[in-house]
Amino acid sequence: MEYEASKLFFAGIDIGSTMSKAVVVDARGKMLGYVVGQTGAEHRRRANRVMEDVLIKSSITLDQIAYIISTGYGRVNVPFADRQVTELTCHAKGVASLFPEVRTAIDIGGQDAKVLKIKNGRLTDFLTNDKCAAGTGRFLEVAAETLGLGLNEMGQVSLQSDSPVKINSLCTIFAQQEIISRLSEGQPLPDILAGVYIAVTTRVVKLARQLKVEPPVVFTGGVAKNAGMVKAMETVLGTAVLVPEEPLITGALGAAILARDEAFKLVQDGAYEAHRDKKLTEAYIDFGEKNERKM
Amino acid sequence: MSAYYLGIDIGAAASKAVVIDGHNNIVGAAVIPSGTNYSTTAAAVKDTALRQAGLQSSAVSASAATGIGGRNAGADSYHGVIICDARGVNLTFPSARTVIDIGGQGSQVITMDGEGRVINFNISEICATGSARLLQVVARILQIGIDEIGPLSLRSAKPSSFSTSCTVFLETEVITRISQGDRPEDILAGIHRSIADKISGMSRGVALEKDFAIIGGGALDIGLVQAIEEKLAVKALVPGNPRLMAALGAAVIAKER
Repeated sequence: MEYEASKLFFAGIDIGSTMSKAVVVDARGKMLGYVVGQTGAEHRRRANRVMEDVLIKSSITLDQIAYIISTGYGRVNVPFADRQVTELTCHAKGVASLFPEVRTAIDIGGQDAKVLKIKNGRLTDFLTNDKCAAGTGRFLEVAAETLGLGLNEMGQVSLQSDSPVKINSLCTIFAQQEIISRLSEGQPLPDILAGVYIAVTTRVVKLARQLKVEPPVVFTGGVAKNAGMVKAMETVLGTAVLVPEEPLITGALGAAILARDEAFKLVQDGAYEAHRDKKLTEAYIDFGEKNERKM
Repeated sequence: MSAYYLGIDIGAAASKAVVIDGHNNIVGAAVIPSGTNYSTTAAAVKDTALRQAGLQSSAVSASAATGIGGRNAGADSYHGVIICDARGVNLTFPSARTVIDIGGQGSQVITMDGEGRVINFNISEICATGSARLLQVVARILQIGIDEIGPLSLRSAKPSSFSTSCTVFLETEVITRISQGDRPEDILAGIHRSIADKISGMSRGVALEKDFAIIGGGALDIGLVQAIEEKLAVKALVPGNPRLMAALGAAVIAKER
Protein backbone atom coordinates (compact mmCIF):
# COMPACT_ATOMS: atom_id res chain seq x y z
CA MET A 1 0.00 0.00 0.00
CA GLU A 2 1.08 3.54 -0.71
CA TYR A 3 1.77 5.98 2.05
CA GLU A 4 3.67 9.18 2.53
CA ALA A 5 5.41 9.53 5.88
CA SER A 6 4.78 13.28 6.00
CA LYS A 7 1.01 12.66 5.85
CA LEU A 8 0.81 10.27 8.78
CA PHE A 9 -0.74 11.13 12.14
CA PHE A 10 0.05 9.91 15.64
CA ALA A 11 -1.90 9.71 18.87
CA GLY A 12 -1.14 9.73 22.58
CA ILE A 13 -3.69 8.66 25.21
CA ASP A 14 -3.20 9.38 28.90
CA ILE A 15 -5.64 7.58 31.22
CA GLY A 16 -5.10 9.36 34.57
CA SER A 17 -6.67 8.56 37.94
CA THR A 18 -9.19 11.38 37.50
CA MET A 19 -9.00 12.62 33.90
CA SER A 20 -8.36 10.97 30.54
CA LYS A 21 -6.70 12.89 27.74
CA ALA A 22 -5.92 12.26 24.07
CA VAL A 23 -3.78 14.20 21.60
CA VAL A 24 -3.18 13.83 17.85
CA VAL A 25 -0.04 15.26 16.23
CA ASP A 26 1.16 15.40 12.64
CA ALA A 27 4.52 14.40 11.21
CA ARG A 28 6.11 17.65 12.40
CA GLY A 29 4.84 17.08 15.92
CA LYS A 30 2.26 19.85 15.62
CA MET A 31 -0.91 19.27 17.61
CA LEU A 32 -4.05 18.79 15.52
CA GLY A 33 -6.51 18.30 18.32
CA TYR A 34 -6.95 17.18 21.91
CA VAL A 35 -9.72 16.08 24.27
CA VAL A 36 -10.03 15.84 28.04
CA GLY A 37 -12.69 13.82 29.88
CA GLN A 38 -13.39 12.28 33.28
CA THR A 39 -11.86 8.80 33.64
CA GLY A 40 -14.67 7.23 35.66
CA ALA A 41 -14.70 3.57 36.60
CA GLU A 42 -14.55 1.97 33.16
CA HIS A 43 -11.13 2.63 31.70
CA ARG A 44 -11.64 0.78 28.44
CA ARG A 45 -14.84 2.53 27.56
CA ARG A 46 -13.20 5.84 28.40
CA ALA A 47 -10.17 5.05 26.24
CA ASN A 48 -12.43 4.28 23.24
CA ARG A 49 -14.39 7.43 23.85
CA VAL A 50 -11.45 9.87 24.06
CA MET A 51 -9.92 8.24 20.98
CA GLU A 52 -13.13 8.66 18.99
CA ASP A 53 -13.51 12.24 20.20
CA VAL A 54 -9.96 13.27 19.41
CA LEU A 55 -10.33 11.92 15.87
CA ILE A 56 -13.42 14.06 15.41
CA LYS A 57 -11.65 17.11 16.88
CA SER A 58 -8.68 16.54 14.57
CA SER A 59 -10.92 15.88 11.53
CA ILE A 60 -9.20 12.61 10.65
CA THR A 61 -10.11 8.93 10.73
CA LEU A 62 -8.53 6.07 12.61
CA ASP A 63 -6.85 4.59 9.54
CA GLN A 64 -4.83 7.80 9.19
CA ILE A 65 -3.25 7.21 12.62
CA ALA A 66 0.04 5.43 12.18
CA TYR A 67 0.92 4.74 15.80
CA ILE A 68 -0.73 5.10 19.21
CA ILE A 69 1.00 5.21 22.61
CA SER A 70 -0.92 4.92 25.87
CA THR A 71 0.31 6.27 29.18
CA GLY A 72 -0.91 7.09 32.70
CA TYR A 73 -2.22 4.98 35.51
CA GLY A 74 -4.81 3.27 33.26
CA ARG A 75 -2.48 2.77 30.27
CA VAL A 76 -2.90 -1.02 30.26
CA ASN A 77 -6.59 -0.56 29.54
CA VAL A 78 -6.10 0.94 26.08
CA PRO A 79 -6.47 -2.16 23.88
CA PHE A 80 -5.80 -0.36 20.61
CA ALA A 81 -2.47 1.21 21.68
CA ASP A 82 0.67 0.00 19.89
CA ARG A 83 2.78 0.54 22.98
CA GLN A 84 2.54 1.58 26.62
CA VAL A 85 5.02 4.08 28.00
CA THR A 86 5.28 5.34 31.60
CA GLU A 87 3.82 8.74 32.36
CA LEU A 88 7.20 10.09 33.49
CA THR A 89 8.78 9.55 30.07
CA CYS A 90 5.74 10.91 28.22
CA HIS A 91 5.41 13.84 30.52
CA ALA A 92 9.06 14.85 30.12
CA LYS A 93 8.74 14.57 26.34
CA GLY A 94 5.54 16.63 26.27
CA VAL A 95 6.88 19.40 28.51
CA ALA A 96 10.17 19.62 26.59
CA SER A 97 8.29 19.85 23.28
CA LEU A 98 6.46 22.93 24.56
CA PHE A 99 9.37 24.43 26.50
CA PRO A 100 12.67 23.11 25.09
CA GLU A 101 14.71 24.91 27.80
CA VAL A 102 12.80 23.35 30.73
CA ARG A 103 14.95 22.10 33.65
CA THR A 104 12.30 21.34 36.27
CA ALA A 105 8.74 20.15 35.70
CA ILE A 106 6.21 19.98 38.53
CA ASP A 107 3.00 18.09 37.83
CA ILE A 108 0.14 17.91 40.30
CA GLY A 109 -2.59 15.48 39.37
CA GLY A 110 -5.84 14.42 40.96
CA GLN A 111 -4.24 11.86 43.27
CA ASP A 112 -0.50 12.26 42.83
CA ALA A 113 2.31 14.69 42.24
CA LYS A 114 5.59 14.35 40.41
CA VAL A 115 8.72 16.37 40.03
CA LEU A 116 10.91 15.84 36.96
CA LYS A 117 14.40 17.10 36.25
CA ILE A 118 14.94 17.52 32.51
CA LYS A 119 18.07 18.43 30.58
CA ASN A 120 18.25 18.89 26.82
CA GLY A 121 14.74 17.48 26.60
CA ARG A 122 15.68 14.30 28.47
CA LEU A 123 14.45 13.08 31.82
CA THR A 124 17.42 12.99 34.22
CA ASP A 125 15.76 12.45 37.62
CA PHE A 126 12.33 12.37 39.25
CA LEU A 127 10.40 11.97 42.51
CA THR A 128 6.73 11.13 42.90
CA ASN A 129 4.14 11.15 45.65
CA ASP A 130 1.12 8.91 45.32
CA LYS A 131 1.08 7.80 48.96
CA CYS A 132 -0.42 10.84 50.60
CA ALA A 133 -3.34 13.04 49.55
CA ALA A 134 -1.58 16.18 50.81
CA GLY A 135 0.17 17.84 47.90
CA THR A 136 -2.28 16.47 45.32
CA GLY A 137 -5.51 17.68 43.71
CA ARG A 138 -7.37 15.60 46.25
CA PHE A 139 -6.39 18.00 49.02
CA LEU A 140 -8.02 20.84 47.05
CA GLU A 141 -11.17 18.76 46.46
CA VAL A 142 -11.48 18.10 50.19
CA ALA A 143 -11.02 21.83 50.90
CA ALA A 144 -13.60 22.76 48.24
CA GLU A 145 -16.11 20.27 49.69
CA THR A 146 -15.49 21.57 53.20
CA LEU A 147 -16.11 25.14 52.09
CA GLY A 148 -18.90 24.33 49.64
CA LEU A 149 -17.10 26.02 46.74
CA GLY A 150 -16.26 25.01 43.18
CA LEU A 151 -12.59 24.41 42.39
CA ASN A 152 -12.32 27.33 39.94
CA GLU A 153 -14.30 29.65 42.18
CA MET A 154 -11.92 28.79 45.02
CA GLY A 155 -8.93 29.90 42.92
CA GLN A 156 -10.54 33.19 41.92
CA VAL A 157 -11.60 34.09 45.48
CA SER A 158 -8.12 33.29 46.82
CA LEU A 159 -6.55 35.90 44.54
CA GLN A 160 -8.15 38.65 46.66
CA SER A 161 -5.93 37.71 49.60
CA ASP A 162 -2.66 39.35 50.47
CA SER A 163 -2.16 37.69 53.85
CA PRO A 164 -2.73 33.93 53.55
CA VAL A 165 -3.73 32.12 56.74
CA LYS A 166 -1.17 29.54 57.85
CA ILE A 167 -2.48 25.96 57.63
CA ASN A 168 -0.15 23.99 59.89
CA SER A 169 -1.25 20.44 59.13
CA LEU A 170 0.24 18.75 56.13
CA CYS A 171 -2.21 15.87 56.59
CA THR A 172 -5.42 16.46 54.59
CA ILE A 173 -7.62 15.09 57.36
CA PHE A 174 -6.25 17.46 59.99
CA ALA A 175 -6.05 20.38 57.57
CA GLN A 176 -9.78 20.01 56.91
CA GLN A 177 -10.36 20.42 60.64
CA GLU A 178 -8.02 23.43 60.68
CA ILE A 179 -9.94 25.10 57.82
CA ILE A 180 -13.14 24.77 59.85
CA SER A 181 -11.45 26.25 62.94
CA ARG A 182 -10.09 29.22 60.96
CA LEU A 183 -13.57 29.85 59.53
CA SER A 184 -15.14 29.77 62.98
CA GLU A 185 -12.48 32.21 64.21
CA GLY A 186 -13.79 34.60 61.56
CA GLN A 187 -10.73 34.65 59.28
CA PRO A 188 -11.59 36.05 55.81
CA LEU A 189 -12.37 33.36 53.23
CA PRO A 190 -9.83 34.60 50.61
CA ASP A 191 -7.04 34.35 53.23
CA ILE A 192 -8.06 30.81 54.17
CA LEU A 193 -8.16 29.76 50.52
CA ALA A 194 -4.79 31.33 49.78
CA GLY A 195 -3.52 29.40 52.83
CA VAL A 196 -4.90 26.16 51.38
CA TYR A 197 -2.97 26.69 48.11
CA ILE A 198 0.21 27.54 50.02
CA ALA A 199 -0.22 24.31 52.05
CA VAL A 200 -0.58 22.09 48.95
CA THR A 201 2.30 23.83 47.22
CA THR A 202 4.59 23.61 50.24
CA ARG A 203 4.16 19.85 50.30
CA VAL A 204 5.08 19.48 46.62
CA VAL A 205 7.94 21.97 46.79
CA LYS A 206 9.40 19.97 49.68
CA LEU A 207 9.53 17.03 47.27
CA ALA A 208 10.97 19.21 44.49
CA ARG A 209 13.72 20.65 46.70
CA GLN A 210 15.08 17.13 47.22
CA LEU A 211 16.05 17.27 43.54
CA LYS A 212 17.10 20.95 43.51
CA VAL A 213 14.74 23.26 41.67
CA GLU A 214 16.40 24.86 38.63
CA PRO A 215 14.67 27.35 36.31
CA PRO A 216 12.91 27.37 33.96
CA VAL A 217 10.20 25.61 35.97
CA VAL A 218 7.14 24.31 34.13
CA PHE A 219 4.00 23.66 36.17
CA THR A 220 1.44 21.20 34.76
CA GLY A 221 -1.42 18.89 35.73
CA GLY A 222 -5.07 19.72 36.27
CA VAL A 223 -4.21 21.71 39.37
CA ALA A 224 -2.03 24.12 37.32
CA LYS A 225 -5.23 25.42 35.66
CA ASN A 226 -6.09 27.06 38.95
CA ALA A 227 -5.00 30.71 39.20
CA GLY A 228 -4.69 30.53 43.00
CA MET A 229 -2.44 27.51 42.74
CA VAL A 230 -0.10 29.14 40.19
CA LYS A 231 0.26 32.21 42.40
CA ALA A 232 1.01 30.01 45.43
CA MET A 233 3.56 27.99 43.45
CA GLU A 234 5.41 31.14 42.42
CA THR A 235 5.31 32.48 45.99
CA VAL A 236 6.61 29.29 47.60
CA LEU A 237 9.25 28.62 44.93
CA GLY A 238 10.30 32.28 44.80
CA THR A 239 10.47 32.11 41.01
CA ALA A 240 8.11 32.48 38.05
CA VAL A 241 6.65 29.28 36.58
CA LEU A 242 5.64 28.53 32.99
CA VAL A 243 2.20 26.99 32.54
CA PRO A 244 1.16 25.47 29.19
CA GLU A 245 -2.06 26.72 27.64
CA GLU A 246 -3.64 23.34 28.40
CA PRO A 247 -1.65 21.95 31.38
CA LEU A 248 -3.62 18.69 31.53
CA ILE A 249 -2.45 17.24 28.24
CA THR A 250 1.36 17.30 28.44
CA GLY A 251 1.50 13.54 29.13
CA ALA A 252 -0.76 12.72 26.18
CA LEU A 253 1.16 15.17 23.98
CA GLY A 254 4.45 13.50 24.93
CA ALA A 255 2.92 10.10 24.16
CA ALA A 256 1.80 11.34 20.72
CA ILE A 257 5.28 12.70 19.93
CA LEU A 258 6.88 9.44 21.09
CA ALA A 259 4.35 7.62 18.84
CA ARG A 260 5.61 9.70 15.93
CA ASP A 261 9.24 8.83 16.76
CA GLU A 262 8.36 5.12 16.95
CA ALA A 263 6.50 5.17 13.65
CA PHE A 264 9.39 6.96 11.92
CA LYS A 265 11.74 4.32 13.23
CA LEU A 266 9.51 1.66 11.64
CA VAL A 267 9.48 3.61 8.38
CA GLN A 268 13.28 3.84 8.45
CA ASP A 269 13.61 0.13 9.12
CA GLY A 270 11.17 -0.64 6.30
CA ALA A 271 8.84 -2.29 8.81
CA TYR A 272 6.06 0.25 8.73
CA GLU A 273 3.83 -1.37 6.09
CA ALA A 274 3.66 -4.67 7.91
CA HIS A 275 2.85 -2.78 11.10
CA ARG A 276 0.06 -0.87 9.39
CA ASP A 277 -1.57 -3.89 7.81
CA LYS A 278 -1.65 -5.64 11.18
CA LYS A 279 -2.90 -2.51 12.88
CA LEU A 280 -5.76 -1.90 10.50
CA THR A 281 -7.18 -5.35 11.19
CA GLU A 282 -6.77 -5.02 14.95
CA ALA A 283 -8.13 -1.51 15.10
CA TYR A 284 -11.26 -2.65 13.30
CA ILE A 285 -11.86 -5.32 15.93
CA ASP A 286 -11.14 -3.02 18.87
CA PHE A 287 -13.51 -0.38 17.67
CA GLY A 288 -16.13 -2.80 16.38
CA GLU A 289 -19.39 -3.65 18.08
CA LYS A 290 -17.97 -6.86 19.46
CA ASN A 291 -15.73 -4.92 21.77
CA GLU A 292 -18.50 -2.62 22.91
CA ARG A 293 -20.63 -5.62 23.87
CA LYS A 294 -17.78 -7.23 25.78
CA MET A 295 -17.67 -4.34 28.25
CA MET B 1 -0.33 17.56 105.76
CA SER B 2 0.53 15.39 102.79
CA ALA B 3 1.63 16.84 99.48
CA TYR B 4 0.01 16.23 96.08
CA TYR B 5 1.31 16.73 92.55
CA LEU B 6 -0.54 17.46 89.36
CA GLY B 7 0.34 16.46 85.80
CA ILE B 8 -1.63 17.82 82.82
CA ASP B 9 -1.40 16.57 79.22
CA ILE B 10 -3.21 18.69 76.62
CA GLY B 11 -3.24 16.45 73.55
CA ALA B 12 -4.53 17.01 70.02
CA ALA B 13 -7.74 15.07 70.65
CA ALA B 14 -8.01 14.56 74.42
CA SER B 15 -6.72 16.29 77.54
CA LYS B 16 -5.79 14.40 80.68
CA ALA B 17 -4.89 15.26 84.26
CA VAL B 18 -3.44 13.04 86.97
CA VAL B 19 -3.01 13.82 90.68
CA ILE B 20 -0.49 11.74 92.64
CA ASP B 21 0.47 11.68 96.28
CA GLY B 22 4.01 11.70 97.71
CA HIS B 23 4.30 7.93 97.09
CA ASN B 24 3.42 8.18 93.39
CA ASN B 25 -0.05 6.71 93.94
CA ILE B 26 -2.71 8.05 91.57
CA VAL B 27 -5.40 9.66 93.71
CA GLY B 28 -7.38 11.36 90.93
CA ALA B 29 -7.49 11.40 87.13
CA ALA B 30 -9.60 12.81 84.30
CA VAL B 31 -9.85 12.68 80.50
CA ILE B 32 -11.86 15.24 78.53
CA PRO B 33 -11.96 16.33 74.85
CA SER B 34 -9.36 19.03 74.08
CA GLY B 35 -11.64 21.55 72.41
CA THR B 36 -10.16 24.68 70.86
CA ASN B 37 -9.21 26.75 73.89
CA TYR B 38 -6.33 25.02 75.66
CA SER B 39 -6.31 27.18 78.83
CA THR B 40 -10.01 26.61 79.45
CA THR B 41 -9.57 22.90 78.76
CA ALA B 42 -6.60 22.72 81.13
CA ALA B 43 -8.58 24.37 83.94
CA ALA B 44 -11.53 22.01 83.36
CA VAL B 45 -9.50 18.79 83.28
CA LYS B 46 -7.53 19.85 86.36
CA ASP B 47 -10.74 20.63 88.31
CA THR B 48 -12.24 17.28 87.33
CA ALA B 49 -9.16 15.35 88.49
CA LEU B 50 -8.96 17.29 91.78
CA ARG B 51 -12.66 16.73 92.44
CA GLN B 52 -12.19 13.03 91.88
CA ALA B 53 -9.30 13.07 94.35
CA GLY B 54 -11.44 15.07 96.82
CA LEU B 55 -8.81 17.83 96.93
CA GLN B 56 -8.76 21.63 96.74
CA SER B 57 -6.34 23.16 94.25
CA SER B 58 -4.38 24.54 97.22
CA ALA B 59 -3.44 20.94 98.09
CA VAL B 60 -1.30 20.74 94.94
CA SER B 61 2.36 21.46 95.81
CA ALA B 62 3.63 21.49 92.23
CA SER B 63 2.29 20.96 88.74
CA ALA B 64 3.75 20.20 85.31
CA ALA B 65 2.20 20.12 81.85
CA THR B 66 2.92 18.45 78.53
CA GLY B 67 1.28 17.90 75.13
CA ILE B 68 0.55 20.13 72.16
CA GLY B 69 -1.32 22.67 74.32
CA GLY B 70 0.72 22.14 77.49
CA ARG B 71 2.36 25.56 77.34
CA ASN B 72 -1.07 27.14 77.83
CA ALA B 73 -2.04 24.90 80.74
CA GLY B 74 -0.98 27.31 83.49
CA ALA B 75 1.26 24.73 85.18
CA ASP B 76 4.52 25.45 87.06
CA SER B 77 6.60 23.90 84.29
CA TYR B 78 6.32 22.43 80.78
CA HIS B 79 8.01 19.23 79.55
CA GLY B 80 8.15 17.41 76.22
CA VAL B 81 5.71 14.56 75.76
CA ILE B 82 8.49 12.03 75.03
CA ILE B 83 10.06 12.55 78.47
CA CYS B 84 6.67 12.44 80.18
CA ASP B 85 5.60 9.27 78.31
CA ALA B 86 8.82 7.55 79.39
CA ARG B 87 8.45 8.54 83.05
CA GLY B 88 4.80 7.55 83.20
CA VAL B 89 5.41 4.14 81.64
CA ASN B 90 8.50 3.53 83.78
CA LEU B 91 6.42 4.09 86.90
CA THR B 92 3.66 1.77 85.65
CA PHE B 93 5.85 -0.95 84.10
CA PRO B 94 9.45 -0.76 85.40
CA SER B 95 10.47 -3.55 82.98
CA ALA B 96 9.39 -1.59 79.87
CA ARG B 97 12.18 -0.40 77.57
CA THR B 98 10.16 0.52 74.46
CA VAL B 99 7.07 2.73 74.40
CA ILE B 100 4.73 3.08 71.43
CA ASP B 101 2.37 6.02 71.91
CA ILE B 102 -0.55 6.20 69.45
CA GLY B 103 -2.14 9.60 69.84
CA GLY B 104 -4.89 11.58 68.19
CA GLN B 105 -2.69 13.25 65.59
CA GLY B 106 0.39 11.10 65.28
CA SER B 107 2.47 8.58 67.15
CA GLN B 108 5.88 8.16 68.70
CA VAL B 109 8.24 5.32 69.44
CA ILE B 110 10.53 5.76 72.45
CA THR B 111 13.28 3.61 73.92
CA MET B 112 14.42 4.16 77.51
CA ASP B 113 16.54 2.72 80.31
CA GLY B 114 15.36 1.17 83.59
CA GLU B 115 15.09 4.59 85.21
CA GLY B 116 12.72 5.92 82.53
CA ARG B 117 15.46 8.01 80.91
CA VAL B 118 14.96 8.39 77.15
CA ILE B 119 17.60 6.72 74.96
CA ASN B 120 16.12 7.30 71.51
CA PHE B 121 12.83 8.22 69.87
CA ASN B 122 11.03 8.82 66.59
CA ILE B 123 8.02 11.07 66.18
CA SER B 124 5.73 10.58 63.18
CA GLU B 125 4.81 13.59 61.13
CA ILE B 126 1.23 14.69 61.65
CA CYS B 127 -0.59 11.99 59.72
CA ALA B 128 -4.05 10.55 60.28
CA THR B 129 -2.94 7.03 59.33
CA GLY B 130 -0.24 6.93 61.98
CA SER B 131 -2.75 7.99 64.61
CA ALA B 132 -6.03 6.94 66.16
CA ARG B 133 -7.79 9.32 63.79
CA LEU B 134 -7.97 6.77 60.98
CA LEU B 135 -9.99 4.52 63.30
CA GLN B 136 -12.53 7.30 63.85
CA VAL B 137 -12.86 7.85 60.11
CA VAL B 138 -13.44 4.16 59.42
CA ALA B 139 -15.82 3.75 62.37
CA ARG B 140 -17.92 6.56 60.93
CA ILE B 141 -18.10 4.88 57.51
CA LEU B 142 -19.04 1.53 59.10
CA GLN B 143 -21.47 3.28 61.46
CA ILE B 144 -20.09 1.67 64.58
CA GLY B 145 -18.88 3.15 67.87
CA ILE B 146 -15.16 3.63 68.42
CA ASP B 147 -15.27 1.14 71.32
CA GLU B 148 -16.73 -1.56 69.10
CA ILE B 149 -13.79 -1.52 66.67
CA GLY B 150 -11.39 -3.67 68.70
CA PRO B 151 -13.74 -6.52 69.69
CA LEU B 152 -15.33 -6.64 66.23
CA SER B 153 -11.97 -6.74 64.42
CA LEU B 154 -10.90 -9.79 66.46
CA ARG B 155 -13.62 -11.82 64.71
CA SER B 156 -11.90 -11.33 61.34
CA ALA B 157 -10.65 -14.44 59.59
CA LYS B 158 -9.57 -12.71 56.37
CA PRO B 159 -8.35 -9.12 56.88
CA SER B 160 -8.97 -6.86 53.87
CA SER B 161 -5.86 -5.57 52.17
CA PHE B 162 -5.59 -1.99 51.06
CA SER B 163 -3.47 -0.49 48.29
CA THR B 164 -2.94 2.86 49.99
CA SER B 165 -1.93 4.06 53.44
CA CYS B 166 -3.35 7.59 53.24
CA THR B 167 -6.56 8.05 55.27
CA VAL B 168 -8.12 10.18 52.53
CA PHE B 169 -7.57 7.51 49.88
CA LEU B 170 -8.47 4.75 52.37
CA GLU B 171 -11.90 6.34 52.88
CA THR B 172 -12.66 5.70 49.21
CA GLU B 173 -11.12 2.24 49.27
CA VAL B 174 -13.10 1.19 52.35
CA ILE B 175 -16.33 2.17 50.59
CA THR B 176 -15.28 0.18 47.52
CA ARG B 177 -14.54 -2.85 49.73
CA ILE B 178 -17.94 -2.60 51.40
CA SER B 179 -19.58 -2.57 47.97
CA GLN B 180 -17.53 -5.65 47.03
CA GLY B 181 -18.93 -7.44 50.07
CA ASP B 182 -15.98 -7.31 52.50
CA ARG B 183 -17.20 -7.83 56.06
CA PRO B 184 -16.83 -4.96 58.58
CA GLU B 185 -14.55 -7.07 60.82
CA ASP B 186 -12.24 -7.81 57.87
CA ILE B 187 -12.09 -4.14 56.91
CA LEU B 188 -11.22 -3.18 60.50
CA ALA B 189 -8.56 -5.86 60.79
CA GLY B 190 -7.08 -4.62 57.49
CA ILE B 191 -7.07 -1.05 58.76
CA HIS B 192 -5.30 -2.19 61.95
CA ARG B 193 -2.61 -3.74 59.76
CA SER B 194 -2.21 -0.47 57.85
CA ILE B 195 -1.63 1.43 61.10
CA ALA B 196 0.72 -1.28 62.39
CA ASP B 197 2.74 -1.05 59.15
CA LYS B 198 3.01 2.69 59.52
CA ILE B 199 4.18 2.37 63.14
CA SER B 200 6.60 -0.39 62.30
CA GLY B 201 8.06 1.84 59.56
CA MET B 202 8.52 4.56 62.12
CA SER B 203 10.44 2.23 64.44
CA ARG B 204 13.19 1.85 61.86
CA GLY B 205 16.47 3.26 63.11
CA VAL B 206 15.47 2.82 66.76
CA ALA B 207 16.76 -0.36 68.40
CA LEU B 208 13.65 -1.78 70.05
CA GLU B 209 14.10 -3.79 73.22
CA LYS B 210 11.75 -5.74 75.47
CA ASP B 211 9.48 -5.11 77.29
CA PHE B 212 7.10 -3.20 75.01
CA ALA B 213 4.38 -0.89 76.24
CA ILE B 214 1.63 0.49 73.98
CA ILE B 215 -0.04 3.66 75.24
CA GLY B 216 -2.19 6.56 74.03
CA GLY B 217 -5.77 6.47 72.77
CA GLY B 218 -4.88 3.84 70.15
CA ALA B 219 -3.97 1.36 72.92
CA LEU B 220 -7.65 1.22 73.93
CA ASP B 221 -8.25 -0.73 70.71
CA ILE B 222 -7.41 -4.37 71.42
CA GLY B 223 -7.42 -5.18 67.70
CA LEU B 224 -4.81 -2.51 67.00
CA VAL B 225 -2.65 -3.69 69.91
CA GLN B 226 -2.72 -7.23 68.53
CA ALA B 227 -1.91 -6.05 65.00
CA ILE B 228 1.16 -4.19 66.31
CA GLU B 229 2.20 -7.21 68.40
CA GLU B 230 1.94 -9.37 65.31
CA LYS B 231 3.81 -6.94 63.07
CA LEU B 232 6.69 -6.46 65.53
CA ALA B 233 6.52 -10.08 66.80
CA VAL B 234 6.35 -9.03 70.46
CA LYS B 235 3.94 -9.14 73.40
CA ALA B 236 3.00 -5.69 74.64
CA LEU B 237 2.09 -4.31 78.05
CA VAL B 238 -0.95 -2.03 78.06
CA PRO B 239 -1.73 0.11 81.13
CA GLY B 240 -5.25 0.09 82.57
CA ASN B 241 -5.75 3.63 81.30
CA PRO B 242 -3.22 4.02 78.51
CA ARG B 243 -4.18 7.62 77.81
CA LEU B 244 -2.94 8.84 81.22
CA MET B 245 0.76 7.96 80.87
CA ALA B 246 2.12 11.36 79.79
CA ALA B 247 0.07 13.18 82.45
CA LEU B 248 1.30 10.69 85.05
CA GLY B 249 4.88 11.26 83.90
CA ALA B 250 4.36 15.02 84.17
CA ALA B 251 3.05 14.60 87.74
CA VAL B 252 6.16 12.58 88.71
CA ILE B 253 8.40 15.25 87.16
CA ALA B 254 6.50 17.96 89.08
CA LYS B 255 7.12 16.05 92.29
CA GLU B 256 10.85 15.71 91.67
CA ARG B 257 11.47 19.32 90.80
